[in-house]
Amino acid sequence: MASRKSTQSADPREIIQWTRRYAQSRTIYFLIQWCLIVFVICIIGLVASLTQQAYTAGNKSLFYTSVVFLSITFFFFIWISVSRWTAEVVWQITLWFYGREGFVSPEENTRSKQLPRWVIALIGLMLVYHIFGAILISFRYLHLQYLQPFSAIILVPVLCVLIYYQGLGFWAWLWPVLYGLHAILLLAGIPISFPSPWFLLNIMVPIFGYGLIAILVGHVYSRYALWKLKTVTRQGLEIDNNEEIPEEK
Amino acid sequence: MAELDRLIHEPARLRILTILAGVEAADFNFLLNTLGLTKGNLSSHIDRLEKAGYVKVEKSFNGRVPHTEFQITPEGREALEEYWRQLDSIRNLGSKAEEKE
Repeated sequence: MASRKSTQSADPREIIQWTRRYAQSRTIYFLIQWCLIVFVICIIGLVASLTQQAYTAGNKSLFYTSVVFLSITFFFFIWISVSRWTAEVVWQITLWFYGREGFVSPEENTRSKQLPRWVIALIGLMLVYHIFGAILISFRYLHLQYLQPFSAIILVPVLCVLIYYQGLGFWAWLWPVLYGLHAILLLAGIPISFPSPWFLLNIMVPIFGYGLIAILVGHVYSRYALWKLKTVTRQGLEIDNNEEIPEEK
Repeated sequence: MAELDRLIHEPARLRILTILAGVEAADFNFLLNTLGLTKGNLSSHIDRLEKAGYVKVEKSFNGRVPHTEFQITPEGREALEEYWRQLDSIRNLGSKAEEKE
């Protein structure tokens, strides 16, 4: 064991910390899901727009065709959201991306095992709340411009609770924070909204845009955390790999 | 004073256990990539940790590719904590002796 030099110089707490930070910041899984959801939503948006144009132009055959296509796309969206096949495909792509780095799962966290019932109820309430918001808009009780702040009232706390219970890294908190800030800036009269006919982007862009920012920040941080982890771990670990490991006495 | 656990005192094994203490599970590639050991060397260290009951090994297949995952056991976690407690007390003794000098 001639080439084994100083041995225990790395602080173990640092190794544990950077391992945890790295494991919590592996966001490729979320990025693939994000791409998939945005892709399907874009298709739904395009078909919905086509349906509306066909209705306005009075083109009945195109209208009925696009309604059928819209229904198929909508059911496809529901199917990919709940199917095991999608989860498996996303997981396999994630493993392929991280192939060289290997697999690591964040520390077993009792919080993330199962969401409490009140959290599931809160998610249900959030959906009902947004449907209520859409009704308010359709009856002109609420202007589309205020849909994002209206949504932020419930989406921000729901996201915070979900992030807490899933034990995600700091990057995930960027999502509700940026979404909340966006709502405050809108209410303060800062001109950061899309004009007509792009009003719907005022809700879509903050939801998915800030989500993407958070995911990308997490990915960049995971590169840094891995570099730090390797540095800290290899400190004082100068072992000749060709050497045989002697038996302990 | 009790003796340090020599099995954990070995630097590579100490690092393997410390990494596993920070996560739920890690696979062979991750440990290989992080520690920079050869496959044979890592296997040998893991083998000893498994025999001591400090690490749990789970073998499976991802399609046709074999996949080996490792988890620290409660015994391993306890042994690691005890190791650091003992090392800290040795360090404290050393610093007290320096102060006296």
